[in-house]
Amino acid sequence: MTYVVTENCIKCKHTDCVSVCPVDCFYEGENMLVINPEECIDCGVCEPECPVEAIKPDSEPDIETWLALNTELAGIWPVITEQKEPPTDAAAWKDAENKLTLLSREPAKV
Amino acid sequence: MNATANTVPNFASDQEVRWCPGCGDFAILAQMKKVLPTLGVKPENTVVVSGIGCSSRFPYYLETYGMHGIHGRAPAIATGLKRTRPDLQVWVVTGDGDALSIGCTHLLHALRRNVDIKILLFNNRIYGLTKGQFSPTSLPGLVTSSTPMGTAHEPLHPLSIALASNATFVARSVDTNAKHLGEVLRRAAAHRGSAFVEIYQNCHIFNDGAFDFAKNPAIRDDHIVAIAHGEPLVFGKNRDKGIRLDVAGPEVVTLGGEYNEPDLLVHDEKADTNTIAQMIAGMRHPLMPEAIGVLRDVDRPTHNDLMRDKTPDPKSRETAVNRLLHGGETWTVA
Ligand code: SF4
Ligand code: SF4
Ligand code: SF4
Repeated sequence: MTYVVTENCIKCKHTDCVSVCPVDCFYEGENMLVINPEECIDCGVCEPECPVEAIKPDSEPDIETWLALNTELAGIWPVITEQKEPPTDAAAWKDAENKLTLLSREPAKV
Repeated sequence: MNATANTVPNFASDQEVRWCPGCGDFAILAQMKKVLPTLGVKPENTVVVSGIGCSSRFPYYLETYGMHGIHGRAPAIATGLKRTRPDLQVWVVTGDGDALSIGCTHLLHALRRNVDIKILLFNNRIYGLTKGQFSPTSLPGLVTSSTPMGTAHEPLHPLSIALASNATFVARSVDTNAKHLGEVLRRAAAHRGSAFVEIYQNCHIFNDGAFDFAKNPAIRDDHIVAIAHGEPLVFGKNRDKGIRLDVAGPEVVTLGGEYNEPDLLVHDEKADTNTIAQMIAGMRHPLMPEAIGVLRDVDRPTHNDLMRDKTPDPKSRETAVNRLLHGGETWTVA
């Protein structure tokens, strides 16, 4: 089992999750984070930290797409180990729906 | 049985894992699930025995045989099991309270007898399950619910105790140091005889950050030294420090000036005596960097080896028991 980051994170990217993960398994894209399912130890501490409830256990229904996406993007994005400021327009995107089309597959600029 | 089933056995059980979010136990469980399938021992030939405490919930979460035993007695239960079923691979999962308070003598005697069991001691320096009282490994001054003024006494040091008990395999690792922990667990499994592994485990709720010096990526390289057989003890973020053996004991030196790598202590896990291993175990934060890795790995006949020729056949055992039970008075009270 693992936890995965889902749609709500896109264009929010609060990174509260990063500061609590004991094994540093979050990876950063241009406008979203993902979890590396290979490294996640299932401790669940990040789930309640996310202000937009983007993090879910992979036991949730219809999570397969997100699991595949987390696995794939964790392989090409850089690791993020420290919390940073969210994008200035994060609040505006908080309740937006169907954000998947807005996902950038580009890695974060570090 | 499904003949097409994956040939790599899955050691994860279907039980819901119940530790606090963020607990270091999750990291150890994740490693065990990775390591066990690589050992060539089938789940049905693997047994995990535990005592009482947060760590002792371990057997539920692995699809092996298991026993959630009584407090501190896991080594005794495991000894009996290994004695009667030498074909099984037997693990003991215990904590600082279970192994060093309640069951301390069981631990010592299992190690001195070299019972072929693998003992994992999750050291979080606190009683977690009972909500945060000091444990025998709590550091002096730790304020807990049972020590509002701070703990008064010196802690026990698991590695020093294991070495003093003449354990044939003694190692230490850190819960979230996945690669290191995986390797130490593999080495423990491969050892013939008692393997003792202390794992620094963060209790996220009642003693958070107890091992920050060994876990925090920003500082850990200056506070831990990863030891390896035949290698000098070098450490530091820039690998510019080392441990040299002075007449007064191990000392930290900076490399590049008066001392260089050839002056350093070279680790020998096969040494005949455990004197140097004890010195390495005695290196403690914050005065010294703490060692992680295998401190000692030597061969000695196991408990089963020593007992094999002495096992009475069942018949003569019956006679012996009968003699004992029907032996009459041993002494006469005047
Ligand atoms: S806290 Fe939530 S929204 Fe923020 S980066 Fe983590 S998963 Fe994304
Ligand atoms: S569940 Fe734990 S290990 Fe997994 S991503 Fe969240 S904090 Fe990290
Ligand atoms: S009390 Fe501490 S050791 Fe026990 S499950 Fe919670 S975090 Fe882990």
